[in-house]
Amino acid sequence: MIYQVIGTVIGIAGIIVSFARFRESRTSPGGLLLWLILWVSVILFSLNPPFSTRIANLLGIGRGLDFLLIIGILGAYYLLFRIYLMVDRIQQDITELVHEIALREHDD
Amino acid sequence: MAEHRQEDVAVVVPVYNEEKTVAGVIESLLDRGYRVIAVDDGSRDSTPEILAGIASERDGLSVYTHVINRGLGTALRTGLRAAVDEGASCIVTFDADGQHDPDDIEGVIEPLLKGEADVVIGSRDFSEMPLSRSLGNTLMNLLTLLFYGCRVSDSQSGLRAFTARAASVIDIKSRGYGVSSEIIGEIHRNGLRMREVTIKTIYTPETISKGPAPQWV
Repeated sequence: MIYQVIGTVIGIAGIIVSFARFRESRTSPGGLLLWLILWVSVILFSLNPPFSTRIANLLGIGRGLDFLLIIGILGAYYLLFRIYLMVDRIQQDITELVHEIALREHDD
Repeated sequence: MAEHRQEDVAVVVPVYNEEKTVAGVIESLLDRGYRVIAVDDGSRDSTPEILAGIASERDGLSVYTHVINRGLGTALRTGLRAAVDEGASCIVTFDADGQHDPDDIEGVIEPLLKGEADVVIGSRDFSEMPLSRSLGNTLMNLLTLLFYGCRVSDSQSGLRAFTARAASVIDIKSRGYGVSSEIIGEIHRNGLRMREVTIKTIYTPETISKGPAPQWV
């Protein structure tokens, strides 16, 4: 019962935060859709745990909890990869700025 | 020795926290009549003041400053671009830790002046190197061969010489020490003519302690 309440509260909080970020134009429509799918799934699986078992069986995975763990791990790795790419891009941008500033300040 | 004016040669010296050695290295290059382009890569010690002091007292030194440390690759990129923009015909890269002998510069630029090469790599004698450095450099040579398809005897050497054209076509993306192998790859990719010239290496506690640091990501 506690698991169901905690999961639902986290899901609702996630939806509220996602909408707030979208309203502030900090999330794209595609990003909002992705987060909504994630948070609605969290609520759905929390309120109806056997549902995860049915999907797990469809995919040939034994238990519903295993299915959720696999999805969670894959999702976390995907986000980690996205963050890695983002940090690398920021590093490149900073490098380009430092390079250009060095050349321009010398010219001035 | 092919004829040239010393001021047509720009020596790029990337500098990061080299307060003990930088003055001696730059003075020795200026004494020989070379133009020096020092790139201060965000030093946090007294290196910026030392460079400013030399620049105010002597002609021939240009100082370019990175507002924060970005690594050897970025410093070389800034230095090469500055040298090309300043109209140098020959560009030499030279480490600031005192490991190179300035007298070797004439040897590395000679094939460029004779029109025999576009890039010259100054190769150190591995038999004189401390074992750990020698093994590390041999490994980097193997990786350079594996990833860039180029067999060179000293891929990590900091003493190199470029024609202005070669310096302008070489596209450096590495931020750190990976730049040494990347330059070899760029020479290969752009079809530039490369030569290797044997150089001396001066080993001191500073030069032994410095070198490529692993970058895992």
